[in-house]
Amino acid sequence: MSNSLYWMQCGSCGGDSMSFLNSESPDIIELIETFNINLLWHPSLAYITHEQHTQVVKKIISGEQSLDILCIEGAIIRGPSGTGVYDTSISEPKKDLVIKLANQAKYVLAVGTCASYGGVCSAGGVEGTGLQFHKKNNGGFLGDSFLSKGGYPVINLPGCPCHGEIIVRTIMALISDSKILLTEFNAPINWYGILVHQGCTRNEYHEYQVEDKVFGDKGCLFFHLGCHGPIAYGSCNKLLWNRYGSKTRIGIPCLGCTMPDFPQPYPFFSTRNIEGIPLSLPDGIDRAHYIAYKGIAAATAPKRLKERKTNI
Amino acid sequence: MGKTYNLEIPLNRVEGDLELKVQIEDNRINDAWISGVMFRDFENILKGRAALDGIVITPRICGICSTGHLYAANKAIEMILDIEIPDNAVRLRNLALMVEMIQGDMRHGFLYFFPQFVNITYSHIPMFSEAVRRYAPLKGEIYIETIKETKKLLEIMGIIGGQWPHTSFMIPGGVSAIPNESDLVQCVYLLKHFKFWYEKRILGCHVERFLEVKNASDLDIWLNENELHQKSDLGFYIRYAKEIGLDSIGKGHCNFISFGGFDHNIIHSGFSFEGDIEEFNHEKISESLAYSWFKDNNRDEHPFQGETRAYATGKESKKYSWAKAPRYKGIPAETGPLSEKIISGNPLFYDLIKHKGPNVFIRELSRLVRVAETIPIMEKYLHEISHSEPFYLSPKNIVDGEGFGLINVARGALGHWVKIKQGKISNYQIITPTSWNASPRDSAGIRGPMEEALIGTQIDNISNLVNIEHVIRSFDPCLVCTVHSLKIRN
Ligand code: SF4
Repeated sequence: MSNSLYWMQCGSCGGDSMSFLNSESPDIIELIETFNINLLWHPSLAYITHEQHTQVVKKIISGEQSLDILCIEGAIIRGPSGTGVYDTSISEPKKDLVIKLANQAKYVLAVGTCASYGGVCSAGGVEGTGLQFHKKNNGGFLGDSFLSKGGYPVINLPGCPCHGEIIVRTIMALISDSKILLTEFNAPINWYGILVHQGCTRNEYHEYQVEDKVFGDKGCLFFHLGCHGPIAYGSCNKLLWNRYGSKTRIGIPCLGCTMPDFPQPYPFFSTRNIEGIPLSLPDGIDRAHYIAYKGIAAATAPKRLKERKTNI
Repeated sequence: MGKTYNLEIPLNRVEGDLELKVQIEDNRINDAWISGVMFRDFENILKGRAALDGIVITPRICGICSTGHLYAANKAIEMILDIEIPDNAVRLRNLALMVEMIQGDMRHGFLYFFPQFVNITYSHIPMFSEAVRRYAPLKGEIYIETIKETKKLLEIMGIIGGQWPHTSFMIPGGVSAIPNESDLVQCVYLLKHFKFWYEKRILGCHVERFLEVKNASDLDIWLNENELHQKSDLGFYIRYAKEIGLDSIGKGHCNFISFGGFDHNIIHSGFSFEGDIEEFNHEKISESLAYSWFKDNNRDEHPFQGETRAYATGKESKKYSWAKAPRYKGIPAETGPLSEKIISGNPLFYDLIKHKGPNVFIRELSRLVRVAETIPIMEKYLHEISHSEPFYLSPKNIVDGEGFGLINVARGALGHWVKIKQGKISNYQIITPTSWNASPRDSAGIRGPMEEALIGTQIDNISNLVNIEHVIRSFDPCLVCTVHSLKIRN
């Protein structure tokens, strides 16, 4: 039996589809062949006529065609004034189609931060929202009680974009009936139960509070340059990008793009702080203890780190 | 007198989605309207944010050209700061942009454009079965190889840019990381690997041999020189495209614009009107909102004066698109690799358009062979990077002012115009390459370049619009369009 998959783009930049195309093991062709995926539609990959596409959609909605996995990329655009006219397909708001498809799907995946929580699209005047979350709040477009036919809420795969490997491996997990445990923001714990900070090659500097004030050096980026690594859940430094990279590995602070409030309303590239200590501390930390610990850490910092002698 | 049809056709994603309306009379398109039907309000998202935030937010406009946006956003800020960046940073930025261009040219070509070759309309052509073997979606040899090879090329972005899409390694003053010697060797390998594939599979010869082709007759000589050339994907393209008449559709206005790129002696900036190339001056750019769903002040405005205030009138007024209509001296112009070549004086493409102007065949050809010109420059950059020179010079604090970043990216001319007041963004206007190409009509009622290119296109069979697909996709409108979608209204 084949597994049907329908991929829809709403208020998106297409970056998650590009990321999907970058997936390594399996790549998308292998994924389709090995897991017997019947790709009903993907805007970049499907090659069927409009009549065929319309028929497919009709059959899904009537229940004649089963829909195993529905992937939504991009925020649901509801503006202006709830009409959805800012994002239409042949004069019909796309948001209306999303509901009809989601009601038939066994599993619904929100691919990327926009589809998960609203992302950049929730920041302007288009009334963008995530499928089942609006930023940190459960609800979003489909409402907090929504469960797909397979018994899951919308499974969020945040990241701006989401790592291609996470998309592919979640699809494989669903097809294989492997259980997917979710975080409080409904993202798979396997990928989002880890902090971006874990695996960052600057950890040695972080440990002794050897912090950079300007770009282009080897120190930690947490205290001054706005790194979200210790507070953002995501696999960027475990599951590297394009086989080699991550933001912190090339000296850019983690922008917190997997977080429900991305893009955060405060400036990127500078750390909000209280008396020199970052305002946002890692989950579960006591501020007073943290200040004491950092003081000792800084005092312990070896010369080789202060002089940026250890590579990253 | 034949039948008149009005067709509404949805095209997926062009920095949003795109829809097309055409009027067909006597089997020919006699009018066309292209609408952007998705609006995300980026320019207003940026207003009031910190000065540097544009370099994080604007790449999110487009997952396919995000490096281009990052580059333009940095240039705009660097203009305000009045700083030059170190040569190493220029090399790495250009290298990244070139990787993005090449993957775009290849994915566009073999994942989006070439699958049209297996359209059922062509099943009677002797070369058809060969086309299926090569280009069938998700199955064709080159389709699968393109996914693998572009992905591998993008590993260079993992090394120098941290990730792709949505890399962020460029910052005002240079680049944030210094790839070490071994990183650079790995980039050299990845580029060699890609070049080997491109030469073997796409060209059927060495890049150097192809670059000897300087005019239309050289191209014929090259094609007939040996079997390897004929059987390569480029050779097959030339033969098949002519067989199915791609050289007789998609002419358009014949005006070209380029903002220049990399080193200005690689891609020149300029505006070409009726064959004459003029020096480029950004002040001559304006945007018309007459047919766009935005409030307009009844006059065209330069992006520094421009505003983005949505005004959804639906079908009631003459407005029909979420795209604005950029013009140069009030004139529409196409942009992209062909424009780049015409304005930079490339002899082959100059010769090809000399007599009859551009067409679908020439536009797509320019994309397929741009890679050949790009690889040697990338090799040079990699060779020139020097660890004894800086990669980043920390700028002084951000100051108020206005600046712009204009650069040619994968799909052509991209511009960012930004105003900073009290450390915050007070206005941000962006004109993307697709805005030029897919623009709606302007205040004078003149069609945008893609609309114009559709005029006169032969449509023999109303239920197969492959010729429309060819014309639209020859502009690579940052979309993966489903032009084979069709709805007959009347
Ligand atoms: S740069 Fe960011 S992710 Fe890396 S160690 Fe510092 S805080 Fe953690």
